[in-house]
Amino acid sequence: MTTTVSAFALRALAIRVGASVLLATLAGTALANTAASASTGPLVTAEWLAQNLNRADVRVIEVSVNPGLYERAHIPGAVNLSWHNDLNDKLRRDIVSKQDFEKLLSKAGVKDDTTVVLYGDTNNWFAAWGAWVFDIYGVKNVKLLDGGRKKWEAESRPLNNRAPEYAATTYRVGKVNLDLRARLTDALAVAEGKSQAKLIDIRSGDEYQGKIFAPAGVPELAIRAGHIPGAVNVPWGQAVQEDGTFKPKEELRKLYAGVGIDGSKPIITYCRIGERSSHTWFALSKILGYDVKNYDGSWTEYGNAVGVPINNPAGTVWAAK
Amino acid sequence: MSLIQTHSASLAPGAGRGAWQPWAAAALLVLLWWFAGEAQTWTGGRTLVFALSIGIALGVVLQRTRFCFYCHVRDWLQRDDPRGILAIALALAIGVVGMTVVQSSWVADPRAGQLPPEMHIGPVSWVLVAAGLAFGAGMSVSGSCISAHWYRLAEGSAVSPFALIGTALGFAIGFHSWNPLYSLAVADAPVIWLPQHLGYGGALAVQLSGLGLWSAWIWHRHIQRQAASTRTAAAEQARDLRSLWQSLWTGRWNYALGGALVGLISVAAIVRMRPLGVTATLGSQVRGALQQHGWVPERLNGLDGFAGCATLPQESWATPNALVLVGLVGGSFIAALASRQFTPRLPTRKDALRGIAGGTLLGWGAMTGLGCTIGTLLSGGMAGALSAWVFGAAMLAALWLGFRFQAWQAARSAA
Repeated sequence: MTTTVSAFALRALAIRVGASVLLATLAGTALANTAASASTGPLVTAEWLAQNLNRADVRVIEVSVNPGLYERAHIPGAVNLSWHNDLNDKLRRDIVSKQDFEKLLSKAGVKDDTTVVLYGDTNNWFAAWGAWVFDIYGVKNVKLLDGGRKKWEAESRPLNNRAPEYAATTYRVGKVNLDLRARLTDALAVAEGKSQAKLIDIRSGDEYQGKIFAPAGVPELAIRAGHIPGAVNVPWGQAVQEDGTFKPKEELRKLYAGVGIDGSKPIITYCRIGERSSHTWFALSKILGYDVKNYDGSWTEYGNAVGVPINNPAGTVWAAK
Repeated sequence: MSLIQTHSASLAPGAGRGAWQPWAAAALLVLLWWFAGEAQTWTGGRTLVFALSIGIALGVVLQRTRFCFYCHVRDWLQRDDPRGILAIALALAIGVVGMTVVQSSWVADPRAGQLPPEMHIGPVSWVLVAAGLAFGAGMSVSGSCISAHWYRLAEGSAVSPFALIGTALGFAIGFHSWNPLYSLAVADAPVIWLPQHLGYGGALAVQLSGLGLWSAWIWHRHIQRQAASTRTAAAEQARDLRSLWQSLWTGRWNYALGGALVGLISVAAIVRMRPLGVTATLGSQVRGALQQHGWVPERLNGLDGFAGCATLPQESWATPNALVLVGLVGGSFIAALASRQFTPRLPTRKDALRGIAGGTLLGWGAMTGLGCTIGTLLSGGMAGALSAWVFGAAMLAALWLGFRFQAWQAARSAA
């Protein structure tokens, strides 16, 4: 009799203990989540950033393409990384070298546990490209300010023009993740049907169709127009809302599933020079969690390569028709 | 008015008396140059060196133009010389224009409800008025405002060291009275930033026309009184480069030049560094020391939420504010020594009493008003803070009462 009672009592106790532990864990995670919820995803809101600007473990970095924008006014405390001069190799067409990248981050006072928040102009294109480079070099906590400069200014948040001075650190890059980078050979493999990867061309419809070589006012063109055979077209703008922030995760999933991109196969994004495609790379890779490479050579490389197959529905060529 | 005014008395050859002073000035300059080199290597060194340079520039300008809020008001009220007070108005006007240009870029939409960060925009209540009155009274008793006491150290003032000690004491008392005052009035007091309510154009128009009308009234009254008296002799003009250089280091510079330079330096400081303020360093040192011994409450409700001459104790003494102060004292020493105006004398008991009493009032007023004539009035006024104008008006009122009292006392003793 006693054994059955004690066994029963033990079970009841175990259930009670188990329940309280479960509750405590749930409460604990909920608490932790509310405190850090904005900083656990790949994006941060302007609201969160405004409240966390002065934290020593947060480093805001602006990557804008328009010259003079940062110098005139930027988010207080933000460091400037010039897309042209800092994040690209100035001699060869390549991303910044590992040593120079370490120097940049050391000068900005970034440590291993720093949360780096990137933002920029032109819809965060270049900031997203920056996030891609940061990911290649394995920087741990990289976030994108949802909506970029435009959202910050739209919410009338203060800016200033003071260049910050942070105590330099010795930042060292660990493993370099080149799996995030697609090369011409990868794109060609898809075009020739040798690879199962999905190509996504995020340029405008006119560029994809071959009606125009590049958006108006852009100097870097290609000898041929059109798109890589096998690529689907989802212009980058479809991933964002009116104010420049990304659409919710579910909407994004449906958007890309509509063209057959559901994460079951590896994805390669490309555009003209690889920075608009970084924006979509960010959405697919960081928000949706798919396996995505960014083909940074993009159309300026593929459309100029000799002997590669091309789809050119509009049939535009340089000579008169 | 010539660019540089000379006083014939100071032009007398002083080869014997004080001949060492210009050399000391040069040596001090070298010392400060070396210090700047050191500071460059510290964390945030670039900004520290800038702070030091701005401080030196300010120190030189304040000393050479005898830019002191108290003296300028006294000259106006007692000697009917409005040039000083007009220089202050000019400094404020230049500052307001400069800050409108800068702030309209930093805070593009002033009506959105977000105050520009770090600007000295404070709460407006009767506590602020009391602070201004106390500050004005302190100026009357000690003979200068806080920034002027700092630069007068370089002239060997016997009162200023005591006034600065008194200021520290005043700060201590202020920290004690803060919590009750905060609950009583400051917590609910509105923080009014003029551009938020009037837009940048409106705020600029109101402030500039206010300053303009006030200056016009002062000038008009002065001209009316001048009509009765004889004209003063025209200032001597410099004849060659050497005498021009020498004239820079004799007498005092032109008032308007002083006002313009103070305004420009203040704008430059905000653009590059942070709003100017001379009480933050002293205040935070006092607060840190007293809090360590438990003589000041650990929690000063809401104090650190206001922008002003922040007194939150810092880990390192080498803050931009501290370096501005070092530069200010250093620069005024350089200027005073170069012009052989360093004339120390032994303090008397009266000097000590005046200094401590006046300084205490100054310190309490500056702590409760979240800044002094530089921090609250100048930096705040430039940024479009209503608190600046309220503080300034209260200060002027106290000064006026002080001079009335002095005149009454003089009339009584004469009778």
